Amino acid sequence: MSMQEMLKELEQEVVKCSRCGNCRSICPVFLAENNENTTPRSKARMIEAVLEGDLEVTPGVQERFDKCLLCKACLTHCGSGVKTDKLIMGARAATAERNGLPAIKRLAFTGLRYRKLFDMFLKTGAVFQGIIFKKLPDGRGRIARIPLPGSGLNLRRMVPELTSNPLRSRLPKVVKAETSSVKGRVVFFTGCTLNYIYPQAGEAVVRILTRNGWEVIIPEEQCCCGTPAFTSGDIETGRTLAEQNIKALNIEKYDHIVTACASCGAALKNEYEHILQESPLAPKWRELASKVLDISQFVIQHCDMSKLGQLPLKVTYHDPCHLVRGMNVAAEPRQILNSIPGLEYVEMKDANRCCGAGGTFSAVYYDLSRRINDKKLDNAEATEMDYLVTGCSSCRMHITDGLNQRNSTMSVLHTAEIIDMAYEAGRKEGKYA
Amino acid sequence: MLKADVLKELTFAVGEDHVLKDSEDMIIYSNDATMFNHSPDVVVQPGNRDEVVQVVKIAARHKIPLTCRGSATCLSGGTIPLKGGIVLELTRLNHIIKLDAVNKVVVVEPGVITFEIITQAAKVGLLYPPDPSSMKESTIGGNVAECAGGPKGVKYGITRNFVLGLEAVLPDGTVVEVGNEVDGDMCGPDWTMLFTGSEGTMAIITSISLRLVQVPQTKKTLMAIYERLEDAAETVSVTMSSGIIPTTLELMDNLSIVSVENYLKIGLPIKAGGLLLIEVDGVASTVDENAERVSQICKRCGATEVKIAQTPAEAEELWRARRSINPAFGQVAPCKFAEDATVPRTLVPVLVEKVLEIQKKYDVPIFICGHAGDGNMHPTIMFDKRDKNQMERAEKALDEVHVVTLELGGTLSGEHGIGFAKAPYLRAETGAIGYKLGQDIKTVIDPLGIMNPGKMFFYEGKLI
Repeated sequence: MSMQEMLKELEQEVVKCSRCGNCRSICPVFLAENNENTTPRSKARMIEAVLEGDLEVTPGVQERFDKCLLCKACLTHCGSGVKTDKLIMGARAATAERNGLPAIKRLAFTGLRYRKLFDMFLKTGAVFQGIIFKKLPDGRGRIARIPLPGSGLNLRRMVPELTSNPLRSRLPKVVKAETSSVKGRVVFFTGCTLNYIYPQAGEAVVRILTRNGWEVIIPEEQCCCGTPAFTSGDIETGRTLAEQNIKALNIEKYDHIVTACASCGAALKNEYEHILQESPLAPKWRELASKVLDISQFVIQHCDMSKLGQLPLKVTYHDPCHLVRGMNVAAEPRQILNSIPGLEYVEMKDANRCCGAGGTFSAVYYDLSRRINDKKLDNAEATEMDYLVTGCSSCRMHITDGLNQRNSTMSVLHTAEIIDMAYEAGRKEGKYA
Repeated sequence: MLKADVLKELTFAVGEDHVLKDSEDMIIYSNDATMFNHSPDVVVQPGNRDEVVQVVKIAARHKIPLTCRGSATCLSGGTIPLKGGIVLELTRLNHIIKLDAVNKVVVVEPGVITFEIITQAAKVGLLYPPDPSSMKESTIGGNVAECAGGPKGVKYGITRNFVLGLEAVLPDGTVVEVGNEVDGDMCGPDWTMLFTGSEGTMAIITSISLRLVQVPQTKKTLMAIYERLEDAAETVSVTMSSGIIPTTLELMDNLSIVSVENYLKIGLPIKAGGLLLIEVDGVASTVDENAERVSQICKRCGATEVKIAQTPAEAEELWRARRSINPAFGQVAPCKFAEDATVPRTLVPVLVEKVLEIQKKYDVPIFICGHAGDGNMHPTIMFDKRDKNQMERAEKALDEVHVVTLELGGTLSGEHGIGFAKAPYLRAETGAIGYKLGQDIKTVIDPLGIMNPGKMFFYEGKLI
């Protein structure tokens, strides 16, 4: 499709925008920048002007479309029902078609397509990360030793350690249920961050499932879900990855697909719709999408919550955008946290507001994403809880970075880790006897 | 395009980061919440009063048009830079200068979001009543310049009833203070009111003193359901003449009810011809009594059912229905003329009947809803601007709504302002002498004609 055709497809969304400015009260980027050129309505306006021939598709237009977290807050808030995420992804694809993507993204997305090469690259990275990053003494992660222009790293920024032993290398392809009777088979779509950065959270997911009588399959051929590529406008890479995943998952016989990454889950469940329109695999995807559950949904629907044991922790919860608005999951994690005996839960203000990570956004606009994150941290710390629980590794990374920079005593845990801890406590209490 | 040395002066005045001149930004700043556009040459974002003064002096020296902008939620084209020039974005002037709970006054800069004032006042037990639908986005400067209203207008009045004093920068860069924080200031004519609702055509407001009131002890929300919209409209005038003054009295027609129900699914009566949402506030004993009396009036006027919200949650649910009308518009058609035709409240039933006729005559969907209690109706005409024929019919319907409103002794604008969108009808409302006087007053204050040109009394198109 040509760029003009791609933009033309967005016209029906653009025409719905009444320019009312409702999005100004909700867009986290606007609230941090206080500049009209960051609002969702300004983006609809730019596309309109391009279609009417009043504006060229300049790198400036592209830049303004890049400055969006895709947190979908405006989408749920918009009175006129403008599908702003579709607008932004569509415009990013169209502008990428015209102006290309920055070299660093182009390189990274090409890397994503070659699963084995990508895997080798990240494993090697784990060995060499010490050269560029110094380890923080408390094991929270690493910070850059030298400025790395263009890489999205900032000398202040703490990035988590890459594991030298990824999740999928740690576990066999099939992990048997721990119970004598097996309830069924679950495919675990691990995603990249659980595989390479937070394998312990991935292991927690597997333990929750097997303890509750489910056999877990971790397909070897699964790859990146494609979110970083297609949200940046590289639809082709996104589609290649989506198709690869559909094939990899469909080889298996399964009852459910479980994800523990908000972005992967939202991609598998909903977002592939945008990129698979012309794909022969679209019907297969629809079938598969209906079986996707986030780990918190799975626990509520298919696990025995009476076996959760005492966990005397003080906890608050942050809604990842791609869970609350991408998968419509908000009640489930709260219900679980409130079901854990002894756990004290306090809701933070604006729990469902974006933490500012936005995938590659935080790399390109680090300072801005830090300002957005700081609000999140203020609200989190105001609860006076010890742990912030969330279901997205990208949020986790960004929030951990922020807490580290303000020397906070608050720690971040994945929802799966806290559920796993509670089940372990339950085992010690003899609930599995 | 502005000359390079002008841009240099502007940059010197407010700093490079706050002078926007990219072509993309000129498009972005070309519109407000109406469907009209005109690009500025430059957007300047001053950070304080003194920077505003400097920018105005530069504009005056070079005779450059100057159009103020807050959140640009304006529904009459007020912030569109019709003649290009400078868009002066005042959202960086966003501080609450003083909140005096004893004297019940708040002093704010124009870029403060209206809802922030309401929130901060509530923290000290006070209420800032004007509550336009856009209050979470709109700036108070824009509210004052356009004289915004809101549902609470029935009982409390609109923005102008709360403006005690203003500080403003005149078109030559001098600063004037009008009114003051003492409620009851009467030294000479009410200059404050001259600037309130002047829509940026005379001066740039840089500080506003607002009156606050005590938060009512309690309130009650009712919903009355009617088979006929006309009966709901009739209830409005009967209620008002009974001596009860509700806080709000909102009317919704069948199109509004059905669209909102499609969107919210909260069990609204989709077969109803109309419904009224009524709130009464005050001390507990009076509120209960008034709620009961209003309920009886509704039934007498033909309401088939009257629900009284028993809990705050139930009341909130009813209000959510009202607030969701705007969102629901989009289901019917993508574009709209959002009108605020206002008539004496006894004539609300007549206006409703006339609008129903107009809807039939031009075959365009019109939502009939609004703040019926103070006669401020929001007939909203829906269309798709890509359908030229439908758009023409919508425009004709719009003309006729304006004419009908004026014939009923009403006003073109209860709260959205005149700006550009309603300027063609302004002379029909003011009369030729009033119109000329409007021009003369503006000319005395702004002899160069640089302030928001082409709007209100200086509209250059055809007058009706």
